[in-house]
Amino acid sequence: MRSVVVTGIGLVTCLGHDTASVGEKLRHLQHGIVKHPPFIGDPKIPISVAAPISGFETNSTDPEDWTYPGELRFRLEQLRGLSPNALYAHFSLTRAVSDAGLDLESISDSRTGLYTASSGSAMMTHYNLSRMKKVGPQRCSPLGIVSSIAGTLNFNLAAAYKIRGSTSGFVSACASSGHAMGFAFDEIALGRQDRMVVVGAEDFTEETIAPFSGMRVLSESDDPDTASRPFDKNRNGFVGTGGSVTLILEEEEAAKKRGANIYARLSGWGQATDGYHVAASHPDGDGLARAMRLALENAGWSASDVDYVNAHATSTTAGDISECRALKSVFNDGASPAISSTKALTGHALSLSSIMEASFCLIAMNQGFTPGSAHISELDEEASGLNILKESVANAPEKVLSNSSGFGGVNVVVALEKA
Amino acid sequence: MTTAQFNEEEIRDSLKRCPESAIEAAVQFASTRNPDLIPTIVMGIIERFVEPDVRPVLREGNDQIRLLEDLGIDSLLMVEIVILVEETLGIHIENEELRNLRSVGDIKEYLDAKIKGLPIPTGHNILKFEEIAAVMPHQSPFLFIQEARINGVKAEGTYHITGDEAFLEGHFKDNPVFPASLMLEALGQLAVLLMLKSENPAFQGPIKADSIYFVSCDGVRCHKVCKPQDIMHLNVSLKKIHPPMAQFEGTILCRGSKVAKAEEISLVFEFDGDESTADS
Repeated sequence: MRSVVVTGIGLVTCLGHDTASVGEKLRHLQHGIVKHPPFIGDPKIPISVAAPISGFETNSTDPEDWTYPGELRFRLEQLRGLSPNALYAHFSLTRAVSDAGLDLESISDSRTGLYTASSGSAMMTHYNLSRMKKVGPQRCSPLGIVSSIAGTLNFNLAAAYKIRGSTSGFVSACASSGHAMGFAFDEIALGRQDRMVVVGAEDFTEETIAPFSGMRVLSESDDPDTASRPFDKNRNGFVGTGGSVTLILEEEEAAKKRGANIYARLSGWGQATDGYHVAASHPDGDGLARAMRLALENAGWSASDVDYVNAHATSTTAGDISECRALKSVFNDGASPAISSTKALTGHALSLSSIMEASFCLIAMNQGFTPGSAHISELDEEASGLNILKESVANAPEKVLSNSSGFGGVNVVVALEKA
Repeated sequence: MTTAQFNEEEIRDSLKRCPESAIEAAVQFASTRNPDLIPTIVMGIIERFVEPDVRPVLREGNDQIRLLEDLGIDSLLMVEIVILVEETLGIHIENEELRNLRSVGDIKEYLDAKIKGLPIPTGHNILKFEEIAAVMPHQSPFLFIQEARINGVKAEGTYHITGDEAFLEGHFKDNPVFPASLMLEALGQLAVLLMLKSENPAFQGPIKADSIYFVSCDGVRCHKVCKPQDIMHLNVSLKKIHPPMAQFEGTILCRGSKVAKAEEISLVFEFDGDESTADS
């Protein structure tokens, strides 16, 4: 099996748009959550906070109304096929390619693939179908499907950047971008591709976030400073965010040969499913525990090798408990690795969260710190025996697991180590 | 098929990124249905969908401007344009009709007929490369028309310079430029195709393919060069015909501007069934 390394990070997140500023926020536990006027202004929506992405305004269903940073310009026929998450993805992808010291031409060859993760665009789907019902399908944008359905990221990006290797999109809810990273790892490890562009992106829109209120899993707190508090005894739901993160994965020898900056080695991954419930995670974290063990096995590590686990913990009552139990079952012989949930700072980015949190691990590993789990005033008793960091610590982890879980009881864990 | 009629507010909203003149014309059209307003509305809608840097090309108002090649309107943007036109004019455009709309002139002609209830101009005999090669005495690598259409005594054709043409290696060294002599050749070939495929009575009957030869050419001017990846838009029209001679005029456009003109290309020909006189 060939080794896989990460050589580029591109960020469009509520914590910032580059590794330096995002690293600062992670280190100092500065969150990106604010009172969100569109939620506050709608009495039907019981939530008030969210974590928006600075520099992007994509609430309109007409892409020509959107505002975004001036570093990219889109042709009209390109813009009109975008969903908000595909717009963010254009930015994260170009930033990651540039961060990897590559140019856009160099990702257009048969040895470079593109794996993406998103749930599509609920906002564009709603708009396009409402319009169809009103005026009939022949009065609807011919790009309505492209801008709406779950493949919107790979359709748009593969065409725009002339991707010629393998392209696919992954849809496994909040584990989607974990699957995209895992299968991209396999593509390189198995010698099918030499380089993979992995993109996660999620709309930051009412249509994507508010429906979770129907499941009663969003925090109804109106205090941005404490609304998201994974592992805290009094947590009351997650906070929504969106954005996009792209990672460039490369075969290690090829990356070294071209003198690329290497953030870390992606050492392996594991996935397992709870076989339990459509939305709730297994009460004992059965699937997640097995996914962690498979990731350790794939990476060739034992549990005691792990320095840090970036937990999935979203700040919901049930989810955090099952993850605590999964962690305790894997790290059961005494020493717990450092554990934190960076969702305290960002909220939950859904399909994007797995790759966003992997990027946070890479940033921490390279900037010499381990991020803490913010906003814990009283630790949940289920977390006792686990080394949940309440503050960041000033040493970099060398071996890291990053956990993700999604609807249907899917669990994906990726293993990263210092190269 | 009936179409939902939009009120003034909806018209203004759906046309919000079109030029003001088009919006006003559309509002007026909604109550008067005056066909004279159509060109302003339609050109305004097209302008809204083309990139700012090609809008000046559109504003020249030349009916020969090609939607795809000159304005960069791909098939999906074309559908967006059609949707707005349908909405604004309250008409329905069939997919089959849509395929025949390739130039600004086609659109104006089509909509004019549609609104006035006249027969829809169809097809204009669009010929693909295989059909062209099947009738032409010229063959690859010396056939410089890839797609053409015949319309009475006029013909239009395109040639995409791929850059793989062998002669470009030497014309010129490290600077591939499509030869002016071959531009003239391409126009001559299009004139041959017109003679062979047109059913217009002006040609007085079927012409024998292997009887047509070049005689002379006058008033040739080249204004710009064409390079690999350019698409040359060829146009010829019959000026006069006195068998066995026929005279044509021709122009070549590229990226919306004129690159070459020939005031008179003379060809000699025989009708099918004539006794062969040129046996050489």
